[in-house]
Amino acid sequence: MTVLLHEEFVVTRGDYKNAGSVSSAIKDKLRTIGIDAKILRRISIACYEAEINMLIHAWGGLITMDVSDDGTVRFVFKDPGPGIPDLDDAMTPGFSTASDDAREMGFGAGMGLPNIRKVSDDFDIQSSPEGTTITLGFHL
Amino acid sequence: MKESVVAYTLSKCVKCMKCIRACPVSAISMENNRIIVNHERCTNCGKCIEACHNQGLVAQGSTLVDIANYDYTVCLVPPALSSVCQSRENAEDLFNAVKLLGFDEVIDLSPYYAKVLQESMAYRPVQKPAIVSMCPVINRLVKTKYQILIDHLIPMNYPAETAAREIREAYAARGNVGIFNLCECPSRLSHAKYPYGNTGSEIDHALSIADIFPMIRTNLGKGRIPVTFCRDGFAAMDAAMLSEHDKVLAADGYDKVENVLDLAEFGRLKEFDLLYLFPCFNGCSGGQLLIGNSYLNHLNLQKLVRESSAETKQIDDRYLWRDGFMAEEDQRSFTEKMSFFSKVNEVLEQLPGYDCSACGMRTCRIMAEEIVNGNRSLGDCHILNSGTREETK
Repeated sequence: MTVLLHEEFVVTRGDYKNAGSVSSAIKDKLRTIGIDAKILRRISIACYEAEINMLIHAWGGLITMDVSDDGTVRFVFKDPGPGIPDLDDAMTPGFSTASDDAREMGFGAGMGLPNIRKVSDDFDIQSSPEGTTITLGFHL
Repeated sequence: MKESVVAYTLSKCVKCMKCIRACPVSAISMENNRIIVNHERCTNCGKCIEACHNQGLVAQGSTLVDIANYDYTVCLVPPALSSVCQSRENAEDLFNAVKLLGFDEVIDLSPYYAKVLQESMAYRPVQKPAIVSMCPVINRLVKTKYQILIDHLIPMNYPAETAAREIREAYAARGNVGIFNLCECPSRLSHAKYPYGNTGSEIDHALSIADIFPMIRTNLGKGRIPVTFCRDGFAAMDAAMLSEHDKVLAADGYDKVENVLDLAEFGRLKEFDLLYLFPCFNGCSGGQLLIGNSYLNHLNLQKLVRESSAETKQIDDRYLWRDGFMAEEDQRSFTEKMSFFSKVNEVLEQLPGYDCSACGMRTCRIMAEEIVNGNRSLGDCHILNSGTREETK
């Protein structure tokens, strides 16, 4: 398996004004390649939710995207903390620890992580106070 | 091959390339000093025509000469044209003036616009939010760029098309009936001339209001035809009026519309039932082929609403609904797509990235694609040739 395209994107904490801009860039890139719309829909939703999580819950982070020749797109969302205290809670639909200002912006409905898991083909999450890493796979 | 009504006149073109930069979907390029419109990409939004100061690019409609070819002629008048009138009396005068052009009958489309609004409100979509398909530009944009949302489009005919289908059946006994449609924008003009849908259009001739208005004007003040406007018909073409509905997100202006479609693709707008989108600022009363200022037209519209009726017209479902929208599929394999993309990226790294359009392509990426396709070479880049890039580095 060879990686054909490797891209990195930085997400800045609390940068609500540009919320979704990284996901838009990822979507545009995959659309330019000509990825099927059905898969692009799932990737867009997952990236957006994960990007927003980094923005409102974590201290920003780094998103990497790898498109491989075997037809998989792999994403790693890595943030430097503060980590998710209880992963089971976080994976429960409707559970949210979002701040009031995030809710006012229309975020924090508690559907982020459950949605990401639902739309992705491969899902893995690791979290400690040093940071959270979500790895997603999509098969084209 | 799709066609569009955007017509080019070489002798009027000053090669300023404003149209190339204005096109939101990179459908225009310049080759051998000629403007080329890629009709596969074109959404008929008319931004290029707006940008062209020299009438090099115009929206080409039919002419009134065709009236003579029919036994009975009908002219469909969109509510957007009524928005140039300050009162219903003025509008009735205008309808008479249109009829005097030589039509046997003039039909107001506001009940058909109202029907689109009412049916859209009642529509239960498979995917929320549903996108109202009243504007050909929006349909085309979703089909070509926002394909994720294709099953969000409500499979409904355009109001003029619905009216034309109804008239065609109802007037079958009148011999050879000619259906003319006055159009307020290039996209409606284009739909009637070259319909995108699964089937052909029942509209025979699309007329540009900008072309016809001088002739309508000479007929003003010669009488009136009573018209009962349908209130919802005006609301259906105006983002501000539509925003009064809780579950409707209405937006006007091309950039705003793209923002909304972007958010919808992220699954963020599920709390809305309907997206009502107008690529033209101020909705259809901001149509490019309309006469007058769109803000004034917008004010007129509010007056006309007060003088119109809440009653609606019964329209049969078979005229209103159409088959679902189909995406235009990319037939290339994943390997082919990736290989092309990588080659384009390699070329792109050698280009300056200014997106200056001097080469005749809107962006460096489009230029890179053309180079990979073998239609252009790096030597066609003016910045590379001038050495400017080296100095700035």
